[in-house]
Amino acid sequence: MSSISELRRLRGSQRDTRQQNKAALFFLLPWFVGLFGITLGPMLASLYLSFTKYNLLQPPQFSGLDNWTRMLHDDRLHKSLEVTFTYVLVSVPLQLALALGLALLLDKGVRGLAFYRSVFYLPSLIGGSVAIAVLWRTVFGTDGLVNKALALVGIHGQGWVSEPGTALSTLIVLNVWTFGSPMVIFLAGLRQIPASLYEAASVDGAGRWRQFRNITLPLLTPIIFFNLVLQIIHAFQTFTQAFVVSGGTGGPADSTLFYSLYLYQRGFGQFDMGYASALAWLLLLIVGVFTAVNFWASKYWVFYDD
Amino acid sequence: MKASPFRRVAVGALASLSLVLTACSGGSAGSAPELSNKPVTLRVTWWGDDNRAKLTNEAIAAFEKKYPNIKIKGEYKDWNGYWDALATTTAAKDSPDVLQMDELYLASYADRGALYDLSKAKKFLGTSQFDAQALATGQVNETQYALPVGVGVSSIVVNTDLFKKYGVAIPDDKTWTWADYAKVAKELTDKSGGKINGAAGAPGFYAGDPKYWARQEGGNLFDKDGNVSIKPKALVDMWTYGLNLISSGAGIKASAMVEDLTAGVTAGTFATGKAAMMGAYNTQVTALQQATGAHLRLLQPPHDGNAKANFFKPSMYWAVSSQSQHPAEAATFVNFLLNDPAGADILKTERGIPANKQILKHLEPALTGTDKAAADYMNEVTPGPSPVVTPNGGSGIEPMLQRYTQEVYFKKTSPEDAAKAFIKELQGEIDAAK
Repeated sequence: MSSISELRRLRGSQRDTRQQNKAALFFLLPWFVGLFGITLGPMLASLYLSFTKYNLLQPPQFSGLDNWTRMLHDDRLHKSLEVTFTYVLVSVPLQLALALGLALLLDKGVRGLAFYRSVFYLPSLIGGSVAIAVLWRTVFGTDGLVNKALALVGIHGQGWVSEPGTALSTLIVLNVWTFGSPMVIFLAGLRQIPASLYEAASVDGAGRWRQFRNITLPLLTPIIFFNLVLQIIHAFQTFTQAFVVSGGTGGPADSTLFYSLYLYQRGFGQFDMGYASALAWLLLLIVGVFTAVNFWASKYWVFYDD
Repeated sequence: MKASPFRRVAVGALASLSLVLTACSGGSAGSAPELSNKPVTLRVTWWGDDNRAKLTNEAIAAFEKKYPNIKIKGEYKDWNGYWDALATTTAAKDSPDVLQMDELYLASYADRGALYDLSKAKKFLGTSQFDAQALATGQVNETQYALPVGVGVSSIVVNTDLFKKYGVAIPDDKTWTWADYAKVAKELTDKSGGKINGAAGAPGFYAGDPKYWARQEGGNLFDKDGNVSIKPKALVDMWTYGLNLISSGAGIKASAMVEDLTAGVTAGTFATGKAAMMGAYNTQVTALQQATGAHLRLLQPPHDGNAKANFFKPSMYWAVSSQSQHPAEAATFVNFLLNDPAGADILKTERGIPANKQILKHLEPALTGTDKAAADYMNEVTPGPSPVVTPNGGSGIEPMLQRYTQEVYFKKTSPEDAAKAFIKELQGEIDAAK
């Protein structure tokens, strides 16, 4: 709604605003249909199911808080939380740092920018796909490309995806590799920083680093914040890559047991849909808390000049 | 710079999270069914590859010709996708009429009322050509919920070309023990100068492994009541053996086993000629032959102790959904697949060596190559009593077993601790499903 109040400020006309409101609602209609028709019903159903014992094939039976207390003693759940938190906390900062770094380079006016932008964006489009996950498994396999390259310099590599010690790292690398979408957003943000600020700064004798520290970074904080929130939510929901790379098991030895993969195993592997629904809601709560903390913390480091 | 829209978008992004939260509800049966006099359409579903789909579709075409009143719509998927789809369609009361079923899931579906009692459709679906042991593999609580299509038996597949190449004699499988197996495997690894490993894999990746190791010691994985009855010692023996196989170099590394698991049987270490022996079902020999292009032979699995450890495993079943509106037609179709020579001539042994003895007799003279080898091998095996069907709640035994096996083989836990934890977890899942 804030964009609408901005419009009001800009135009100052009541009738225009009402028309704009109608237009906005009209354009939002497909989303509302989806939300009420497809998303909200199942969400409420799953909230109810989280308080039941439900095996998919027979009607759910109310079981109170059983599913929720069970979580306290579920070792595999704790393992999946450990895996997922590690993944989020390592891969998101790395991915954003890489995205920002490349955006800064490209913003300096590289010839053929559009080409590079597209090439770097490509992994973001395909990185979550089954095909790329299959490719990843092969590239990081014992006889994969990575080991063939290492062999050229005399290093005998191991099976990266099949050793419990390194399997998660290969998936972190996969996520970092999809830096394209935050990069494009960073680029758009960089373009909006007025050149006059840099001119003024260089007249005052500020070097490259000072300009970056005191102009680029502060003005880019809303974009960094936006990317951070989005990528954290995205990373918490990681499923396809882990499913394909481990063949649905989260292996080797549970080293890639992502939260959503464990949820899937409970729900569909074990017909344990009541518990799986509770797990889904726990994930929603976790991501909600992360996002809330992010928003709260943003007061201290995100700079809005409006 | 106007950044506030970004703030709103971030909130909107939360909505995308709600995609995580989605779920589904669940079945019944009547008395003796009759064929309809109106045209009927049945949905049939199975898992498997393109070759199976091709043969099954040919059989469907032959059936439709014979029964013009019945139309069949076939759907097929890979193993994982199949069970996801079957669970969700059954929950949505939209189950296909005829289902290919597996031993792991049979009780899970039957106990929950999702399958049709086939004895009600006796008129359309004969069972007289199956022996009692074979029929028992399709019963849950003494009710015939499924009929076995084919049977498979554990074997050791041997790449005789590699044995010849490295000058190792093929052992006598009538008498060999697990120690002999390890010795031969080590000899192969050594004589090849490490180019190949003697054995691909080690026990602990398939549900048949703990069954075999328990039965060697006179036990079983599950008792008659469907509780876990394997002794920790059997598991400890199995994993300790596997650890020694890996550390001696006789077998491949644990990480290679993990890769084999995702690569599938026709792309793994054995299939690519990098190992000379592997445990497999006799019915897999055709696929392995095609993958290796080498001469293969089936040997009896090594054996410690006196109990008859090997067993006939139903490769898969046909079952009818309790939600089917047309159980009589569904039973007629299953009858065509299992009992009709016209169906058998098309399907042959693709789903396993037929459990229907008359059909097997009908097909046997025409079997050649690896199909013949698989059938001959089965005739040589004297199995022990049939194991109990995997109980309700136990359908996840294989991934669970693999997880513990990997923890042991990657030395994250000891065989003793893993054995205790595995038994406890498996029994816990079975109790939870009661």
